[in-house]
Amino acid sequence: MNGKLLAVIFLSLLLLAAVFQNRYDSTISYFSDRSTFVSLPSGKALKILSFGYQNLTADLLFIWSIQFYSTYYLTNRFDYLERVYNTITDITPQYKEPYIIGALIMVFEAKDIPMAIRLLDKGSRNIEKEWFFDHEAGYYCYKYLKDYSRAEAYYARAASKPNAPSFLKRMKAHMVYLQDDPKVAYQMWLDIYNNARDRLEKDSAFNHLYQIKAEIDLPVLQQEIAGFKENFRRFPATLAELVRTGIAKAIPRDFSGNDYQYDPLQGAIKAQRVFKWKQR
Amino acid sequence: MNIKGLAFNTFKESARNKMFYLLVFFGIIFALSSKLISFLTLGDTIKVLKDTGLAAINFFCVLIAIFTGINLVYKEIEKKTIFNILSKPVTRDHFIIGKFFGLALTMLVALIAMAGIFFILVLLVGGGFDFKILLYFFMLYLELLIIVAISLLFSSFSTPILSFIFTVSLYLIGHIMWTFNEFKSLLRSPLLEKFTHMLYYILPNLDKFNIKNEVVLDLPMRTGTILFSILYALVYIMALLTVTIMIFRKREFL
Repeated sequence: MNGKLLAVIFLSLLLLAAVFQNRYDSTISYFSDRSTFVSLPSGKALKILSFGYQNLTADLLFIWSIQFYSTYYLTNRFDYLERVYNTITDITPQYKEPYIIGALIMVFEAKDIPMAIRLLDKGSRNIEKEWFFDHEAGYYCYKYLKDYSRAEAYYARAASKPNAPSFLKRMKAHMVYLQDDPKVAYQMWLDIYNNARDRLEKDSAFNHLYQIKAEIDLPVLQQEIAGFKENFRRFPATLAELVRTGIAKAIPRDFSGNDYQYDPLQGAIKAQRVFKWKQR
Repeated sequence: MNIKGLAFNTFKESARNKMFYLLVFFGIIFALSSKLISFLTLGDTIKVLKDTGLAAINFFCVLIAIFTGINLVYKEIEKKTIFNILSKPVTRDHFIIGKFFGLALTMLVALIAMAGIFFILVLLVGGGFDFKILLYFFMLYLELLIIVAISLLFSSFSTPILSFIFTVSLYLIGHIMWTFNEFKSLLRSPLLEKFTHMLYYILPNLDKFNIKNEVVLDLPMRTGTILFSILYALVYIMALLTVTIMIFRKREFL
């Protein structure tokens, strides 16, 4: 058999292989849902089977999960999402990234907030000194579950951890404010204001205090104006008239020390600066 | 010929082995490829780079230890060169100890080469120099010495294939010794329980040298734990060499 004949045979076989590949492809839909897992051993089993290479096993599983959960054509890819991240975090409980990235995937891709919070809770249990997990859980409770009391508890726990940034206390105070408890929120912000370590913290606390004080003062003033009108059939000419007539004991001022803006024609009162933090 | 001479000869012999170069080469290639793997992750890429690089070095060093260890004594007997050596003023005890130190030197050179490349890689990606990694390499070296001693033990009375199977088995078991205590609690027979308990202390516990997690994640390490691991390695190696010498003394070469 000469070389040319062998080359022809080789090319023919290659062509035949391509035909079979083509026929094989026609039987498979690569871009459709498929069973995502044959089997995924538990974290403990993988820890044993990794024979001392736990870190590498966890890394590889983590890297695989990032690629897998970015495969958008698989709509059933979230079937075992919690199991996958529990396995990774069982193999190396001290590895921070899988908790954070796993929770991000659960929130933004799978839209399962409680699952993300469970994973972050596990992170917080396993790495007790880390504040970030509680901060993330607090944020998800606040932003997506609108569960402000739970968010407050997470921020309180995060703020109590070593090296926790100061904004966590501010978030905690803000959660109290969102729970319509302005008096407690005011005290918390006042504490932040008095103990502020930098300009940003001081300014932030100031703005919140301004807003909350106005929210406490304005309804009271508005009620007193209404009481004045009931008695005198007109709105008071100035706020000082409320004190003179004995309807109010004193006229409160805003947190900057300025008078609230009063419109005697409408009997309306407002603060000079208005913030929209109450948006939920 | 004394132990020193035997050790240097063993080192030269190992260093001439193509398998040794091949494994060192692959170890370095895999350590370098950890940079590529770290690209695929999110978050702390240096952590993944360290994990992968250290695992590659660990794996290939273990392979070098096993492949060079299992052949050493067997080759000498097979090629009849052992008669030449033992005809000189060298006892069988010296022969085993010399072979061990020669292999220990080979492992040290291989480890230094791979660790050097790894340190450069970590520095290049901005990971900084971490003394804890040096401690990791020291602990890995102790583990490798135990593996060398185990392979030498099997090599003294068995064929390379069987030695390979035995050594690899002990290496794998050595890394899951922490499961023995749990396994023991599942046993219903007190006799089996005692047997498992005994095995726990007899078989090499290699996972204590695995401090990758502590090093990479910068977790605290107890000085006592490290110290007892070092003492354990030294005593266990001496015990293995003693058994090897006992077997080798009675070995017939013809």
